Amino acid sequence: MTTVEQPAAAAPVLVAVPHPIRRLLIERTLYGILTLFIVSILVFAATELLPGDAARAVLGHNATPIQLHNLQVQLGLDRPAVVQYWSWLSGLLHGDLGKSLANGESVSTLLAGRILNSAVLVVLAGFFGTVIGVALGLFTAIRRDKFIDHTLSVISLGVTALPEFVIALGFLFVFSTNVFHAFPAVSLIPPGSPPWQSPSLLVLPVAALVVVIVPYIYRMMRAATIEALESEYVEMARLKGLPRTGVLLRHALPNAIAPTIQAIGLSFLYLAGGIVLIEVVFAYPGIGFTLDQAVQNRDIPIIQFIVLLLATFYIFMNIVTDVIALIATPRRRVPR
Amino acid sequence: MNGATTGERLELAQAMQAEGSSGLGRRDFMRYAGAGAVLLGGASGLAACSSSTSSGTGTTGGTPKKGGTLTAGLAGGNASDTVDGQKGVNNVDFSRIIALYDALSRYDINAQIENGLAESFEPNSTATEWTIKLKSGVEFHNGKTLTADDVIFSLTRVVKGNLGGASSMANIDLASMKKLDDLTVLVPFKTPYATFPAGYTGYYYYLSILPTDYDVHNPVGTGPFKYQSFTPGQTSTFVRNPNYYGSTGGKGPYIDTLVINDLADENTQINAMLAGQADAINLLSFTSIPRVQAAGQILIGTGGGMTPFTMRVDQAPFNDVRVRQAFRLIADRKQMMNLVFGGHGTLGNDIFSPWDPDIDSSIPQREQDINQAKSLLAAAGQSGLTVELVTSDIAQGTTKVAQVFAQQAKAAGVTVNLRTVTATDFYGTQYLKWTFAQDYWYYSQYLPQIAQATLPISPFNETHWSDPTYVALYNQAIAITDPAKRRDVAHQLQAIDHTSGGYIIPYFPPTIDGLSKRVHGAQAGKVGLSFGNYSFKDMWLE
Repeated sequence: MTTVEQPAAAAPVLVAVPHPIRRLLIERTLYGILTLFIVSILVFAATELLPGDAARAVLGHNATPIQLHNLQVQLGLDRPAVVQYWSWLSGLLHGDLGKSLANGESVSTLLAGRILNSAVLVVLAGFFGTVIGVALGLFTAIRRDKFIDHTLSVISLGVTALPEFVIALGFLFVFSTNVFHAFPAVSLIPPGSPPWQSPSLLVLPVAALVVVIVPYIYRMMRAATIEALESEYVEMARLKGLPRTGVLLRHALPNAIAPTIQAIGLSFLYLAGGIVLIEVVFAYPGIGFTLDQAVQNRDIPIIQFIVLLLATFYIFMNIVTDVIALIATPRRRVPR
Repeated sequence: MNGATTGERLELAQAMQAEGSSGLGRRDFMRYAGAGAVLLGGASGLAACSSSTSSGTGTTGGTPKKGGTLTAGLAGGNASDTVDGQKGVNNVDFSRIIALYDALSRYDINAQIENGLAESFEPNSTATEWTIKLKSGVEFHNGKTLTADDVIFSLTRVVKGNLGGASSMANIDLASMKKLDDLTVLVPFKTPYATFPAGYTGYYYYLSILPTDYDVHNPVGTGPFKYQSFTPGQTSTFVRNPNYYGSTGGKGPYIDTLVINDLADENTQINAMLAGQADAINLLSFTSIPRVQAAGQILIGTGGGMTPFTMRVDQAPFNDVRVRQAFRLIADRKQMMNLVFGGHGTLGNDIFSPWDPDIDSSIPQREQDINQAKSLLAAAGQSGLTVELVTSDIAQGTTKVAQVFAQQAKAAGVTVNLRTVTATDFYGTQYLKWTFAQDYWYYSQYLPQIAQATLPISPFNETHWSDPTYVALYNQAIAITDPAKRRDVAHQLQAIDHTSGGYIIPYFPPTIDGLSKRVHGAQAGKVGLSFGNYSFKDMWLE
């Protein structure tokens, strides 16, 4: 769970390093780049193993062998896999992401708008999920073992047990198609316009993602706050006669936030993958939806780029989370 | 996504059992039910009964109004969608192509050939040359007038580019194609081709007529709608063409704006309709009929495209005609149609192209006959045969009907092992090579379909049918310009199909589409394309 404890960080340290944050950044970045390289090979190999190819997907079942062969040559699919991979990699290193095999558009123009769409989804869901999760955690920590605490605990357990697409379909049923007709069922963001111009299309996908991540953040926040509230320094603060809110916010919260940051970080990591399913359910034109289409089309340049983008986000979020947790835990910054 | 769950399989088996054990004979019951829909027990059966008949439906009536935006949410598209009038592949492509372009001819909703941009097709006496006269005064969206040059440009583009429609003009003599005057083109063929108009029409949505200065990034056609915007795999917006040549006499297009969205699956489509985000959704399964009816209208086409079982006649055990005929006798076609489509669709008789006037209606309908199937198998030394059937989610109902067939085969002592593969796998390197599999075809008339599927030189000869008599009869037929004489030869070919061919065609699957309540003017068609050949031009909004 705590990513700090990975072998990379636990490598034997012979000499005390004066800048633990800088060291962590350098080390993690190098490992990250290596990871991305391996991921790109794995994804490429996996798409090669899938039956059929982009030419077949583009032409459909009405393709004659000649048409198929012509398109395969045109798309460069007749070359050995290693050559194809190398041409993709060298293109990438020159800043050329290649072209979609399905429709010939460049990957960058095709994906720019969709990356924005997905980013908006992740940021909104992450923001609301964090605020609601932290607030609920604090709220229930000070009402420990009260009725509301138990109720929320049971609900959150129930929600955790549900797969995200079930939650999404539940939202659709209640708020869109069958009970109320409050929000659209499909989030067809018009191409070329940013998603915030159609806020009603964002409500259900964001809500579904928030519901998925809140329980985790909330439970972590609650547990950490309770632990802090039981500590000696909080007891001391209370004995000094400080007001309850002051004790909670000034003494307990700063100590409870470090483990919660890990939970928030993990939630963002989850979101990077979770958007795939949610976007497909709501037909939301983001990178998750595009990835789903690209896999069906064997559109390797698109698959490669999206997977690498998600992997980069994953690695980046891991580093950020660790750095923030390190900053929030002063005693771990001091070399011993 | 592929294959049915165990639950579905169980349900299917129970439904089949229930049907077999009901005291009332199925055929009697059909007669009483009258509507062609049979109650099988369970909610789905009820739904089929309460819905409209399988003879085709429509939302016609009332005086058409102009204006409004119709939003369609169509399945079957993806990121490789195109608005190139000659490069369509999937259903959503065809819907867009039919909106933007016209061809020389097309199918009407009864699957009969009607002229589009052509005024007439005239063959010479040996059927080696066709003279096409164009309608006068037809305008492209950019104001350019349609001429013979555009036709020559368009046909050349298909043949030289080896595009989807090229196989319908296999023997064209491109170099000798010429313009006789502004509205007349001479199309010569290297061998007699009396069925050119039928062959062309079978592929009309691959054979749009484009202007000589065609630019795919700003696509211009003569169709009822003009291009405005398009994002592959997502959406397109077209607007009404006020100068549409076909709108004389108060005919459509009526709607101002046509938005076609790609929706990935049936659930998304129905949700979009329930939430008021889609006016027209297509390719539905019959179990969705009640859900859609609650919010809108259902449009059911009788179907004409086919989803046959394909038996390779050059491989054991199907190289023995007795095994092929036994398999055809195993199929209880009505039960298949009932279980897979709630009774909708059209019964098949192992001969394709049911709406072609050349079809011999005197050939008796093949019924299930397990005893005869058993004795044929015994005669062939194949009692207790075990075969593998390769199935895939390639079209409506294909995996389901494969399960039904496997169940039905048990009665004849035949074990059918199902091998379910993904659609991409199915159409991968093994396509056209499977020993026993399935396929799907859009509708085409009889003789052109032979050219595609059952000649040794056919591009999609999946049954590996290769019979000298058959080839000779076909070559004879396409050299005859007299339709009545040609029909006689076509009937001889159909007799061969029926007594020894490699296809089992149990039914022609229906098209089941949904429309919101405000849509009028839609009519179901027989070609197997949704909304009566994606005829958005006929629809109007309240």
